[in-house]
Amino acid sequence: MNEPNPAVITTVPTPAVIEEIRPEIEDVRTCYFRFEDPEIEKSFAVRSGQFVMCTVFGAGEFAVSLPWSPEGDRRHLSVRAVGKVTGALARLAPGDKIGIRGPFGNGFPFEAIKGKNIIYVAGGIGIIPLRSSIVHVLLHRPEFGRLILLYGARAPQDLMYRDKIEEWRRTEGFETHITIDRPRPGWTGETGFVHTLIEKAKVPVENTVAFVCGPPIMFNAVIKELSARGLRDDCIISTLERHMKCGIGKCQHCAIGRTLVCTDGPVFTYKQIKTLGEQI
Amino acid sequence: MYILPKADVPRLLDAIAARYELFGPVVDPISGDTLFDRASAPSAVRLDAPIPVNTPKFSVFPHFERILTYRYDRASKALDIRREDLVRPKALVGVRSCDLTGLLCFDRFFLGQEFVDEVYRDHRRKMLIVANTCVRPFAQCFCVCTDSGPAAVEGFDVNLTDLGEAFLFETGSDKGRGLASELGLAPAGEHAARDRAAVVNRSIGLFDGQAVENKAWISRAVNRLTTGFVKPETWEYIGQQCFECGACSFVCPSCSCFNVQDAATQAGPTDRLRTWDSCSFEGYSRMAGEHNPRRPIEDRRNKRFFCKLSYSQSKKYLRPGCVGCGRCARVCPGDIGLPNVVTAIRREITEPKP
Repeated sequence: MNEPNPAVITTVPTPAVIEEIRPEIEDVRTCYFRFEDPEIEKSFAVRSGQFVMCTVFGAGEFAVSLPWSPEGDRRHLSVRAVGKVTGALARLAPGDKIGIRGPFGNGFPFEAIKGKNIIYVAGGIGIIPLRSSIVHVLLHRPEFGRLILLYGARAPQDLMYRDKIEEWRRTEGFETHITIDRPRPGWTGETGFVHTLIEKAKVPVENTVAFVCGPPIMFNAVIKELSARGLRDDCIISTLERHMKCGIGKCQHCAIGRTLVCTDGPVFTYKQIKTLGEQI
Repeated sequence: MYILPKADVPRLLDAIAARYELFGPVVDPISGDTLFDRASAPSAVRLDAPIPVNTPKFSVFPHFERILTYRYDRASKALDIRREDLVRPKALVGVRSCDLTGLLCFDRFFLGQEFVDEVYRDHRRKMLIVANTCVRPFAQCFCVCTDSGPAAVEGFDVNLTDLGEAFLFETGSDKGRGLASELGLAPAGEHAARDRAAVVNRSIGLFDGQAVENKAWISRAVNRLTTGFVKPETWEYIGQQCFECGACSFVCPSCSCFNVQDAATQAGPTDRLRTWDSCSFEGYSRMAGEHNPRRPIEDRRNKRFFCKLSYSQSKKYLRPGCVGCGRCARVCPGDIGLPNVVTAIRREITEPKP
């Protein structure tokens, strides 16, 4: 029998207090929180790209990717109210308690991508799991080549993390391109789907890694465009989501083929995704 | 190895019931079915009963279990979370080798992967297992084809084999040896191993007329499934036959998918419940917002057979997931229990298309 890993909270959710809630876009809020137990507050260590199971007491539990970076970032979750439990989360206020289990999953492979150009391609709230990676890479800017963010949303009011994006736009050495699906009054930036930015931004493919996250239709269009330009499948990294109940590889709800998103992922290269044997 | 005279079986059961919650094959007086269930009294355990219609897996993986209970008062922000260890030591007596093999699959899956499942571990520790060599297979049984019977070779504290006048009492652990000395059992004579082999061989002989179809084909099916060479038409046929009732999962000794739900009450605490689930259900993979990556039934239905027979899943169990108990074949209203799926895969290999 394996011994339980003390660094991971596997069974009983640990209480955390919501400190602040910021509305992001329609139906999406960011909840800043701290753990009630000061020991856990100190020791709870995550890797960028992992996820946690979040309990809304009385409603249930859901899996959620981590937008915060382990280095110099406030702990928070950005969640769209889309189902029963996330809907209940949206009704909580600062001071309310939530429960956290985790962290689970593999995380982004930063060691393997040192020295490379990095392209982030995000659609809508697909930027949430990529946020921690962007913060990490910017903190370690000299270790990477060109840094490019291509971010698309349906309309200006659907752009997440507006303050952060404004900060990134002003960051030297970070090429940011933002688009909305179709022209709107008052919008002076790019228009068109996010995959069209790949051409406009003249993204490199040599010595390059792309992080792609967004709805399936956007994902497929972006992959097609990147592949056509010659980016290899193992240089495209994404993070998948599934209906999850345990986070520790037991309930089997997140199986894609025989791969479990919770313990084998959630971060996969496109090369791996293609061999899963099911649609993603 | 020791000898347990049949007259001493009640002493054995009493000794076990004194220390454990006793589970074993009991006969339902109304239906006449053998059920593996909690014994109302030690004398209710019937070691000579036919194979139970259900598996003992509920003893370590209940149909429906409270894994956590909490109370959160939004007004005062008071939160109380409890995980009580209510699990009393259990004894499973009269477990057939197929069902025991299922438990071993569970052990390797719940305890041996990256994370330990604490809920399962609490059920499993302190447990006593008395296996019983199977001398009477079901018509659907095929454990001889899946290397899981008719006699257990590992995972038991005691294994009994019916030698006629007495049981051969093999011990597999200190707990088992302790029971033997407590009961003052006499060591088995020099013919014990030969007598046991004769019983096992007679039992294997009973499969001759019923499992020949599958014998050579399980490993071919493993091969075809693992390499992805099962034709889409075969999966479509299986999908069309499936009623999505989940019965196969529920009777299977190695199926362990579960769902978790928080059940709130008006004023009292909330229970976090873990319940059996099945990959044949449409809602199994449905996410919030109604997105369901696995919609067509044939897309969902083949998952079960990958789980039972593919090499990648076998790595987690250290053997194929199917233990050959045949219960899925007994309960499936669409006639696509595992043996028939193996047959369908065989047909696509051997029968030329018109």
